[in-house]
Amino acid sequence: MNNRRFLFWTLTPGFAVLATLALISIAGALYFSVMDRSLRYSDYHFAGLYNYQRLLSDRRFLNALQISAIWEVVTVAGALVVATLLSVLIFETVKSFWLRNLICFAFLAPVLLPRVAAAFIWRFLYSPSLGLINYLVGLTGLGPVEFLADPSLALMSVAIVDIWQWGLFFTVIMLKLLETLPKDPIEAAQLDHAKTWEIHAYVTLPMLKAPIISLALVKAVESLRSFDLIYVMTGGGPGTATETLDLYAYQAGINLGGRISYASAMSILLLVLTTIVFTLIWKGIRKWAV
Amino acid sequence: MANIQCANIRKSYGGHTVIENLNLDIADHEFVVFLGPSGCGKSTMLRMIAGLEEITDGTVSIGDRDVTHLHPGERGVAMVFQSYALYPHMTVEENIAFGLRRQKVAEDEIARRVKHVAGLLGLESFLERKPKNLSGGQQQRVAMARAMIKTPKLFLFDEPLSNLDAKLREKLRTEIRKIHLDLKTTTIFVTHDQLEAMTIADRIVLMRAGAIEQQGTPAEIFDQPATRFVADFIGSPAMNFRDCVVNRDGDRIELATGSMRLQVPSQEFGALAHGATVEVGLRPSKMDLAAPGDQNSITGRIVLVENMGSEGQVIVDVDGQEMSFVTKAFRTLEPGQPVSFSIEPASIHVFSKETGRSLRKAG
Repeated sequence: MNNRRFLFWTLTPGFAVLATLALISIAGALYFSVMDRSLRYSDYHFAGLYNYQRLLSDRRFLNALQISAIWEVVTVAGALVVATLLSVLIFETVKSFWLRNLICFAFLAPVLLPRVAAAFIWRFLYSPSLGLINYLVGLTGLGPVEFLADPSLALMSVAIVDIWQWGLFFTVIMLKLLETLPKDPIEAAQLDHAKTWEIHAYVTLPMLKAPIISLALVKAVESLRSFDLIYVMTGGGPGTATETLDLYAYQAGINLGGRISYASAMSILLLVLTTIVFTLIWKGIRKWAV
Repeated sequence: MANIQCANIRKSYGGHTVIENLNLDIADHEFVVFLGPSGCGKSTMLRMIAGLEEITDGTVSIGDRDVTHLHPGERGVAMVFQSYALYPHMTVEENIAFGLRRQKVAEDEIARRVKHVAGLLGLESFLERKPKNLSGGQQQRVAMARAMIKTPKLFLFDEPLSNLDAKLREKLRTEIRKIHLDLKTTTIFVTHDQLEAMTIADRIVLMRAGAIEQQGTPAEIFDQPATRFVADFIGSPAMNFRDCVVNRDGDRIELATGSMRLQVPSQEFGALAHGATVEVGLRPSKMDLAAPGDQNSITGRIVLVENMGSEGQVIVDVDGQEMSFVTKAFRTLEPGQPVSFSIEPASIHVFSKETGRSLRKAG
């Protein structure tokens, strides 16, 4: 009983603060989403589901939904693929303990950078006139590439920055995971005629399935919150080529029209959508990972 | 199937040499056990033959082919690990067939061979299970099936039974031996358990500190230990050791300490010098209660009688030092009683105090 009381009193304050913060903002957003609140006028009235109805026929919203989905898939898959390939490469080629730690330290640096700082660094790197990347591209004879201004490249160019930050971080985690695996099954696979890539494809990575799934989920949640990176690098542009849902919500609610209610409805839809999608993914993964 | 040759093997980690100039020949079909205390280099030796450990110097050949620098998969060896080393995410069938699938063997051929080895090892009903749903003994059978299905030239067992309980260990030991009688594949089996080695081996290679101390059939190792270390390591209960002084009187050789007087045949121990101090080894299992008129009888006072079932180990205080012998007639003996026990002259071992080597004449 004493133990329970202890748990209750230690956990309650934290949960209370979290719940209050989450519930108040969600309740606020819900409330405004059924009003017609705009920053232009001081009064507002009940509007029912009008905002939601409009959203479903708003092409810019549907575009943002699509961009968000692409962004999720590309950054999660990209970070994991980079992490898998690099960690296996380091695991197989770098045997020196010190060199490995040095690489890990270097790979941790990008994720420690504030998002905004990383965004500015890469804006300079991508710059058509001053950027290092365009200088290198120029050496190959191709003209300057407008990485951030070309609608077909902009989203991928920003995604690369995200993958640079998180893929390298996950590389360190996966390298450490590979190091914790028992040696025997790897040696058994060597004796079983498995080539190095087969050992990893069929033995080590499947053995790490559970932690890799956790990493994917962490990254999926993290990718939903890439507002600062995209905002600094492209501001959602060119046009709406990199405008994810949170950027559009911000543009609609704060920046442009000041249509608070419209933006609130969008946030609520985003919340519902992500909750549903993540629940489905989570359930599917748990069934598959057993 | 193949013979194995290890020539001038050296293994060092950094500047630290663990195996030095080791030579070993293993004949085709032979079942050899590497035996020794932990850290003697027996597992390292096995792993070098498998290709899992680099060989610092020397050559290993399997079936007259130099495999020193070959990848483990190309040596035609199969290994069973102490930890079983199964692939935890695969079913038993996938575990067993993994090696064949990597070699791109046709699926119907794989199915046939899986069925065959699963039948041999009694695994038919477990093929769809994951290793974590199997007992230790079943897991080790899967590991053996995975090794057998490849029809290797050489089987390597790295302490495969150490993680099993005593009863299962005995059962699997018999099974391994039976399989060897059947397949006749050359086998190297590493263990630190001398009983396991004695029961399973054609030949025991007893190792100590990275070198071969003695090799021979179990009977040779048991009855003619070349050194005090071998004599002490083999046999349970362990051998009794006593420092004795040699008394020579013509052809009569007597070894004496305290009240103990042991006579040994001069044709076998002719090299013993009068007055020298030697170490005498007496196996408890080679001694028994003395009959009247027995030569080489030793008298002392019983300290403890240990019931081992069909026989008993009697621990006796002889001149203030404990010795033990084994007898079937232990039930009449009580602690505190005086007792006399004796040993055949042919079973007395004499070792040099300086080198630890046996002073018995070879042959």
